[in-house]
Amino acid sequence: MTTHYFQRKLALSITAASMAAGTASALEVPLTYFGTNMPPLDFHGFASQGYLASSDYNYLANNTRNGSFKFTEAGVNMSVNPFPRTRIAAQGFTYDVGAAGQYDAVLDYALAEYTFNDYIGVRAGRIRRAEGIYNDIQDLDLARTYVLLPQGMYNARWRDMYTTADGGELFGTFHLGTGGRLAYQMYYGLQRPQLDGGLAIQKENLPPYQQLNYFNSPQIVGGQLWWYTPLDGFRVGVAMNDDQDLTFQTVAGVRAEGSPFTQHYSLEYVVNKWTFQAEYYNSAVDYDITLGGNHITTAKIHPDTWYAGAAYEVNRWFSVGTYYSEYYADLTHRGGVGATPSDGFQKDAALSLRFDPTSWWVFKIEGHCIHGTAQLSDNRDNPVRNDNIWFMLAVKSTFSF
Amino acid sequence: MKSSLLKLGLLGALLCAGSLRALALDGAVVIVNSSVAADSLTADQLKDIYTAKTKYWDGGQAVIIAVLPDKTDAALQQACGMDSSSFKTFWQRLAFSGRGQEPKRADDAAALVALVASTKGAIAIVPADAALTGVKKIEVK
Repeated sequence: MTTHYFQRKLALSITAASMAAGTASALEVPLTYFGTNMPPLDFHGFASQGYLASSDYNYLANNTRNGSFKFTEAGVNMSVNPFPRTRIAAQGFTYDVGAAGQYDAVLDYALAEYTFNDYIGVRAGRIRRAEGIYNDIQDLDLARTYVLLPQGMYNARWRDMYTTADGGELFGTFHLGTGGRLAYQMYYGLQRPQLDGGLAIQKENLPPYQQLNYFNSPQIVGGQLWWYTPLDGFRVGVAMNDDQDLTFQTVAGVRAEGSPFTQHYSLEYVVNKWTFQAEYYNSAVDYDITLGGNHITTAKIHPDTWYAGAAYEVNRWFSVGTYYSEYYADLTHRGGVGATPSDGFQKDAALSLRFDPTSWWVFKIEGHCIHGTAQLSDNRDNPVRNDNIWFMLAVKSTFSF
Repeated sequence: MKSSLLKLGLLGALLCAGSLRALALDGAVVIVNSSVAADSLTADQLKDIYTAKTKYWDGGQAVIIAVLPDKTDAALQQACGMDSSSFKTFWQRLAFSGRGQEPKRADDAAALVALVASTKGAIAIVPADAALTGVKKIEVK
């Protein structure tokens, strides 16, 4: 009986509990029933099942040309305010997106928070990393019209790298009088990339000698600043973070070590039934590639991506949304290089329809028209890639409580 | 040059206009649990509470927001600049990322008043004609 077995059992339990509770509103467990005077625990959860189908190539999952249901997410969270100005919160989470996740149950976040005043508070534990509009809520299907976020910026297969850090953060809000409010989060911690996470899965599709068998837990320091302007609903954000000595190694002993620096700029305007969003992201790292301690080469990785989108709530049941995004694997060669130049970029126009039949059930359908193959990292499943236009259908249903 | 300065001035005036509004809640009042010491709030303080910038009362007690979906939408929009759908999404984002506690919901005005009356630190926007039993009405300046 392995730990993996128990993780899967726990994952299935999370999913089942979320589905079963879908018809309920948030659960509240008053601990006075257990003989204490603790304030009540708040429980929430969600479970999503999606379907992906694509023309020409397999994308996100391994067999989307024939349609794939390997697109599942579920989570259960709790929070409680045990003492004045203090809050404790935790979430268990499991997901399966193609080969990533594999239904492993993970402690998504588990934190204690103390708020001194509006200007400063502190969180410690496993925290969600604030970066841009969606990084800390990538799995929250309820919070957006789209099925798939722009994948160049919020890659569903790379959550293990991007969403959390084990450490702490300071947060707070400053009032600027008629200038609005300035909210900040500054964090420091360790990342926990997994061998069944996005980067490792990507490399698994390369020849065996390039597959990964080691990740370190790099330190990361970063922050997010939001200016909530005096114009209601309009905010401007900037986030930056610096990974310290991210290191991974292939089974052949080739080692890569680098310190990615990321910049992320965001605009969001929510007005009446409309939501307008635009973001830009770039990352830069020079990886030192070594074998047996000997320097082989330096790999410069410098991708960037942007998107602009709008969503409109037609009525309480229906919303529509659209975005256009561009991703470039190397911003110094936007047209791509080598035998497959289309691997240098991916441009995606998406159109989404969201249907909320009840307050606890959401159904979405979305079409993508895509040019480029930069994110078709499942090379083994896409041996031939061309500079053509291709299409994707994404369907998703989410239950929550 | 003058044209650019004029445009900047207009943009600044537009941005600042939002903060100069006087708050008047259409057909609604603000109530709190009797454990809350405050007797009044400024419009900015009310907005800070409903936009999660302020999560605790002065004594350190957690602010618990209670809502009545679809019944007080206009007042909610006036209080925090969000309609009920945006408000729900905003708080789901906080709750599911471990940064906040989702507002509690009631089915009707009487249930909302009862919820506020029985929940320490609770605050709610209720229809002005609701019977306010066991709660404290807050003046919004």
